[in-house]
Amino acid sequence: MIKLKDISKWYSNGSAKAHILRHIDLEIKEGEFASIMGPSGSGKSTLLHIMGMIDDPSEGEYSFEGESVFTLKEKQRSELYKKHIGFVFQAYHLIDELTVYENIETPLLYHKISSSERKAMVADILDRFQIVGKKDLFPEQLSGGQQQLVGIARAVITKPKLILADEPTGNLNSKQGEEIMDLFTRLNKEDGVTIVQVTHSEKNASYGSRIINLLDGKIA
Amino acid sequence: MFRNYFKIAFRNLIRRKTYSLLNIAGLAIGIASCLLLFMVIRYELSYDKFQPNFNRIYHVVTEDKNSEGIDYTPGVPFPALDAFRTDFPQVKTGALFSLYGSQVTVLNNGKAVAEDKKFIEENGMCFCDPVFFEVFNFNWLAGNKEVLAQPNMVVLTQKMAEKYFGDWHTAIGQSVKLDNTITLKVAGILSNPPANTDFPLGLVASFITMKNNPSVYYYTTDWGSTTSSFQVFMLLPEKVSAASINAQLKKFSLKHYQKSDPSRYRLNYLHPIAENHFDTRFGNLGDHVTSKPTLITLSFIGVLIIIMACINFVNLSTALAIGRSKEVGVRKVLGSDRKQLIGQMMSETAFIVIVSALVAVLIAWLILPYLKHVVSLPEQLSLFSGINFLFLLIIITVVTILSGFYPSLILSGFQPVLALKSKLTTTTIGGISLRRGLVVLQFAMSQILVVATIVAVSQMNYIRTADLGFNKEAILVLKGNSDSASVARQKSFKEELLSIPGVKAVSFSTDVPSSENNWGTNFAYDHRPDEKFPLFLKFGDLDYVRTYGLQLVAGRGYFQSDTINEVLVNETLMNKMGVKNAQDMIGKEIRLGGQPWKQIVGVVKDFKTNSLRETVKPLLIAANSKFYSVTSIKLLTNNLSKAQKNIEKSWNKFYPEYAYSGSYMDESIAHFYQQEEQLAVLYKIFAGLALFISCLGLYGLVSFMAVQKTKEVGIRKVLGASVANIIYLFSKEFTILIAIAFFIAAPTAYYIMNNWLSNFAYRISIGVGVFALAIVLSILIAWITVGYKALKAAVANPVKSLRTE
Repeated sequence: MIKLKDISKWYSNGSAKAHILRHIDLEIKEGEFASIMGPSGSGKSTLLHIMGMIDDPSEGEYSFEGESVFTLKEKQRSELYKKHIGFVFQAYHLIDELTVYENIETPLLYHKISSSERKAMVADILDRFQIVGKKDLFPEQLSGGQQQLVGIARAVITKPKLILADEPTGNLNSKQGEEIMDLFTRLNKEDGVTIVQVTHSEKNASYGSRIINLLDGKIA
Repeated sequence: MFRNYFKIAFRNLIRRKTYSLLNIAGLAIGIASCLLLFMVIRYELSYDKFQPNFNRIYHVVTEDKNSEGIDYTPGVPFPALDAFRTDFPQVKTGALFSLYGSQVTVLNNGKAVAEDKKFIEENGMCFCDPVFFEVFNFNWLAGNKEVLAQPNMVVLTQKMAEKYFGDWHTAIGQSVKLDNTITLKVAGILSNPPANTDFPLGLVASFITMKNNPSVYYYTTDWGSTTSSFQVFMLLPEKVSAASINAQLKKFSLKHYQKSDPSRYRLNYLHPIAENHFDTRFGNLGDHVTSKPTLITLSFIGVLIIIMACINFVNLSTALAIGRSKEVGVRKVLGSDRKQLIGQMMSETAFIVIVSALVAVLIAWLILPYLKHVVSLPEQLSLFSGINFLFLLIIITVVTILSGFYPSLILSGFQPVLALKSKLTTTTIGGISLRRGLVVLQFAMSQILVVATIVAVSQMNYIRTADLGFNKEAILVLKGNSDSASVARQKSFKEELLSIPGVKAVSFSTDVPSSENNWGTNFAYDHRPDEKFPLFLKFGDLDYVRTYGLQLVAGRGYFQSDTINEVLVNETLMNKMGVKNAQDMIGKEIRLGGQPWKQIVGVVKDFKTNSLRETVKPLLIAANSKFYSVTSIKLLTNNLSKAQKNIEKSWNKFYPEYAYSGSYMDESIAHFYQQEEQLAVLYKIFAGLALFISCLGLYGLVSFMAVQKTKEVGIRKVLGASVANIIYLFSKEFTILIAIAFFIAAPTAYYIMNNWLSNFAYRISIGVGVFALAIVLSILIAWITVGYKALKAAVANPVKSLRTE
C-alpha cells in the first residue's frame, strides 16, 4: 500500500544541514498494523506526516496504492489523501468551537456527502463508539480518553483504508490507553483498516503486527 | 456547509466577546456613517431631477468681463427675454422674476382684514409668464398656465393657499395685495412642489403685472442693467445640443450687449439646471447651494471611515489568526482544501459584517431625526428604501472583501504540521509589518481629520469674533419698504423710537454695513474719466455712522440731507485711487453714473462690506432718503426684549399695513456662514469617530499583545523590570507608529486645509500649534487606550503568568 524509497528530510541551518530522516526505505502492506518506535527526535512523527502527505521530504519517492505521490498535482494529491487516510493525534486536535457531533461530521462536509447521509453516518458511528450521550458536548467537557475516542471516530467516519496515529495514547492514563488500543485492534481485524502508529510504549506496540525502529532518522 | 460556517462564526463571536464587540462597534459606526452620508449626498444630487425635462432645461447665465475680472451673474437684462424668443424660435424660453421678503396682505372684499393677515414671504414669490410652465412641469390643482397671460393674476401653491385662506378650494377668486401696492386675484392653484427643488414656488404672479408697474419693481427695458432676480430658462428641443445654442448665444451677446455698453464684454451662455444646486457662482432660488467640493469631501470622509473600520478588522483577525491555527490545521488534515477554508473565513467575515450592518441601520435610524441640525435638509429622509438597501448590500460586499480577504489568505495558508504543533508565532505567519503599516495609515487618516477639524473650528471662531469694522452687537434691523408713503413717515417714527427706553440710536438706510447685497454703479473720481470698476453704494441718514460705530479716519460725517450731497468713501476706494493720505481725499469730487459731481467730506475706516469670503469693496456712503427701507436700532443690552416689544408696537402704529420683521444684526451675519458652520460641526463629528475607531483597533491590538506577551512580561518582572518598564514596552511601538503617521498626515492635512481656507478672503494661517495639538492629542488618546491593558499586564503576578506555560 505504501512504498517509501530513499526518503530523506533535512533543514538547512546556514551551511549545515540538520537531518531528520536519512534514506528511509519502507513498505507497508494493506491490512498491516505497524508501530513506529524510537527515542525523541528520531524522526517518527515526521515520517508519519510524510506518509500522511501533510509534510514533504527533501528527497525520495513515495507511492501510495501504486500512485507516485510527489508527481501528483496538489489537487489530485489532496483527493487521494482525503479518500484514503485518517489521522489521529496525541493532542486529539478536536475543534474547540464544535460539538462532538459536529466534529465528527466535519470531514464528511469536505467529502461533499449529502445532509441526510451525513446524519446516518454520524449516528451510526456515535452508536458504535458508544458516545451517543455525549454528542452535544464540547471537547472541553470531555475527559482525555473520551476526546481521543471522538478523534478516532472522526478519523474513521470517512472509511479510510489507512489510519495514521501519532502517539494516540500519549496523553492518556493506562486504562484509557488500553481501550484505545483495543479499538485500533478491532478496526484492524474486523474492518481491515491498515494502521500505522507512532508510539513510545512497548506495550502499545505489541498490539500491532510489526515494529519499525527509528534511530537518528534511520531504520535500525 | 454554510450553516456549519455560520455556526462556527457565531460561536467564535460569542467566545471572543471583546474582539467581536470591537469589530462590530467599529464596522457598525463606519457603515452607519457611510449610509447616512450616502443618503445626504443622494438627496443633494436629487434636486429637481423630478422635472421630466431635467436634462433639456438650461439656465441662461451671464459672464461679465470687466477690468476687475470676471463677474458671474444668474440674471439677464429684462429686454433679453423677448430678444431670446425672437432669435431662438425653436427653443421654449421661460422667465422668472423673484422677490425676497415681500409682504402679502390677504384682502377681504377688497379691504384689509385684521392685522394678523399680513405675511412676509422670505422667498417663493415670483413673477412668471405662461411659457415658464411649459419649460418646468408643475401640477395644477385648479386653473391653468394661461391665467398668467393676464395682468394682476396670481397662482398659489396649495400650501400658500391654505396659509392665506384656510382651504385652497375657497381661494380661487379671492384677492391679495402685494407690498401694499398691487392687488392680485387668485386664479389658480398648484400642488406643492417636492422639497428637493431649487424652484420652491409659493406665489406666482403674472409677469405682465410687473411690466405694467415698472416703477414698483424697477422693470426697465435698458440693456445695460442686469439683476440677479430676473432669470431665464430654456427648454431645448430633443435633438438640439447646448453647444449649438451656445454658439448662437455668442452672436446674440455681441449683437445686443456690445451695442449698449462696449466697455464691458458680456456673454450669455447655457448652464444646465443639473448644476443649479451646486454652482456657488450663480446660486439658486432654493435655500442652499451645496458646492461639489463639499460633497466630494463628505464622500471622501465616508470612504476614510469605512476603510478605518476595515483596517481594524484586518488587524484584529490577523492577530487572532494564531489562536485559530489549530482549527485550520485540523481542518486541513480532515481534508479541507484552501478554497474551502477561504470560503469559511469569508463567510465568517460576512457574518460579522452583516451583524454590524444591522447595528448600523439601528444607529442610522436613531441619528436620522437629528441629521437636519448638521446638514441642510428641508425634509426628513427615509431610511427604508430600495436604494438604501442596495447600497447596504454593496457596502456589506465591499467591506467583507476588504476585511476578510487578507486574513483568510493568511489563515488558509498555514502549514498544517506547523499549525498543529502550535509552532506558529506572530513572526512565522508574517503580516506584522502590514499590521504596523495599517495602524500608521489609520492614525494618519484620523490625524488628517483632527487637523482639519482644528483648522475649520478656529477659522469659524475667527470669523465669529472677527472685527468687522463696525459694531454688530444689539442692533435690531427692521425691513420695510422705500415707497414714498413709507419714507414720509420715517421722521416721526424715528422720534417715537428714540423715546423708547433702551434705544440708543436709530438710522434709516438702504442696507446694513455687511450684507450679501451688491448695489454698484460706474463712477468717476476727481474729474477723471469713468473708472473701469464699479463703486458700491450704501445710502443712510446722518445717524448711520453713529448707529453702527463706523470710524472716520479723516474728515467728518455728512450733514442732514435727503439727497446725495456730501459723501463718505472707504479706505479701499482711497487705495484704489492711489491716494496715500486720507486727508488728501477730503474735498475731492466724485460722480455716480451720469449725475452731478459731489464732494467727499470724510473717509471711513474699512469695514467688511460683504461676507468674509469676499474682500472689502470700494464703497460710497451718502444720504438719499428715497431709497431708505431699512431701520437700524441700536439698543442698550440690559433690557432687549422689553425694548423690542415697544419697537414692534410703534412699528404697527406707524406702518399698520406692513408686517413687523425684526432681526438682530449679529444673527444675520452668523447666517452668512451657515454652510461653513455645518461643515465644521461635521468635521468635529467625523474626526471624533475616526479617532474612536482607531482607538478601538489599537485597544484590540494591545489586548492581543498583552496575551501574547504574558510570558515575556513574567520573565522580565522576575528579572526585575518595574511596572514603568513594562508599560514602556507596550507603548513604545505605538508611539513610534503614531509619530510616523503624523509625518504623513501633517503635509496632507496642510495641503487640504490650505485649499479650504482659500475660500475665505479673511482667514487664519495654519500655525505649528495646530499640528502640535493634533499629535499630542492622538498620542495622548493612544496612551490612554494602551495604558489600561498595559498596566494590567504589568501588575500581574509573574508566578501566575509563567505557570500557564
